[in-house]
Amino acid sequence: MSAPDWGHAVDLRDVGGEVAIVGIGETAYSKASGRTATEIGAEAAERAIADAGLEPADIDGLAWSGAFPGFGAAEFHAHFGTDHELWTTPWGGGMAWAGTVPSLAADAIRDGKARHVLNVFAVAWATQRAEMTGGPGEVHAQQSLKQNLEVPFGWFPQPIYFATIMRRHMLEFGTTREQFGAVAVTLREHANRTPSAVFHDKPLTLDGYLGAPMLADPLCLYDSCPISDGGAAYVMTSVERSRDLARPPAVVLGVGEGYSGSGTHWSQQRAFTSTPQVFSAPGAWAMAGVDPDDVDVLTCYDPFTIASIMQIEDMGFCAKGAAGELAASGGLRFDSGRLPYNTHGGLLSHAYVLGIAHVVECVKQLRGTADAQVAGCEVAVYGGYTGHMASTLVLAKAR
Amino acid sequence: MAITRPDFPLPDVADELVAPFFAGAAAGELRVTRCRACSAYVWYPVEACPDCGETAIEWVAVSGRGTLFSWAVVRRAFLPAFADRVPFVTALVALDEDPAVRLCTLVVDLDLDDDLAFDRGIATLHADAPMEVVFRPLRFTTVPDREVIVPMFHLARGHES
Ligand SMILES: [Zn+2]
Repeated sequence: MSAPDWGHAVDLRDVGGEVAIVGIGETAYSKASGRTATEIGAEAAERAIADAGLEPADIDGLAWSGAFPGFGAAEFHAHFGTDHELWTTPWGGGMAWAGTVPSLAADAIRDGKARHVLNVFAVAWATQRAEMTGGPGEVHAQQSLKQNLEVPFGWFPQPIYFATIMRRHMLEFGTTREQFGAVAVTLREHANRTPSAVFHDKPLTLDGYLGAPMLADPLCLYDSCPISDGGAAYVMTSVERSRDLARPPAVVLGVGEGYSGSGTHWSQQRAFTSTPQVFSAPGAWAMAGVDPDDVDVLTCYDPFTIASIMQIEDMGFCAKGAAGELAASGGLRFDSGRLPYNTHGGLLSHAYVLGIAHVVECVKQLRGTADAQVAGCEVAVYGGYTGHMASTLVLAKAR
Repeated sequence: MAITRPDFPLPDVADELVAPFFAGAAAGELRVTRCRACSAYVWYPVEACPDCGETAIEWVAVSGRGTLFSWAVVRRAFLPAFADRVPFVTALVALDEDPAVRLCTLVVDLDLDDDLAFDRGIATLHADAPMEVVFRPLRFTTVPDREVIVPMFHLARGHES
């Protein structure tokens, strides 16, 4: 079988074993908080730096998401009252970049440009939505081709794209609503064990899922994640330096990055029921020297249940088309599943903070401090998926 | 950042990237882009052919026949303009000339009671159902006194269940 040609992998330098995550910080995750992304980002940064046992002046590298600015160098200095030089990159933050930024940090640390790199992501979309600005749909509606060839025909916004992908997955592989429901229910059970989750005190049963209002058949309310306010951050340093610090390091073993050739135009993606994890994951496994069987916890960027199903398949955890069965058989549960998945509840039931909390959850699982802790977790993986881009981050306990 | 074009979400027929698509619809023709150098259909319209790199992209008429690739029955309006249209069916139709070309479209002429049923087993919408184009005015009550003729699709005649 020839390699798929509807996208490509990025050829990344082998950074396996060079850097580790040594500090994590989170804010409250909530509905509209009335706070700005900058305020939320500052709080997450403060907590991550403290968790690492460092001072703000020790942070000499800063990464954020250029697509969603909120906490960059100016805001860092304003908040902490510092003025030292910072190595910076806008190719960090959340989404798929929460998985690739360790590769950039490793380069900066190797080249002596930084010693401790902080990656921050915060979002206040729930507050902004209350004010009728921002949000994922608005970003997309700006693009001419979407505005003229998709929006007028009702093929907009994201819930519609993913309803269409979901139906095609059902048609091609026989995936059922009960199987998608199993993803939603499992993640809700994980959120119910996680006090910080937005849906911590809201149980969900399969009957509740099946009876929920349809947004766009076959996609119902519980296939779709909420809009949230919240943020998180993590500190990276060299594995060597991590030995001096208080927390057990989560060592970066592998990073992968892949793209779909059709860009953000999902409608034209040749492999319609796949994600660019097809291109991202193999490189990460190779760099890490692990394969899917070695993974103890998987977290994936999951705005919709179908995004979980596709990535689990595309990363090689089961055959294409078989993730629905895996979910329905309890395979994703933190306590008894063969692939404990989104153990904090994911975007779907924890909070829509665009993946940064997924990486934090991986670190907690490796430290043994997660709320829905997986016994003996040694390898935890984040799968980032942002439209045309996917990333794969393999983290492990120090050996 | 908000879209301020007063006729949104009607298409902007003056946008030169897509103007021929809507001019075609007004003339009763479904037109898509093709590379003059290698004859490959290139969709969406782009500056250069992804197959051969040539910039000789032309608009050509196609038959208007295709198959139903996938669809969603939209029950909640995500934009105010669609509030009085729900439920409706938005779909991707793969063109017979090249199934890799998928048009986002509205599926029309459905018997809503039966056709919208997702899991009743009597829905006439099914994977790869033959479809054919119809040209209809697209109107939104939020955009008074304006309409644009656009390609929509219905089940090909003789294939209704
Ligand atoms: Zn060509």
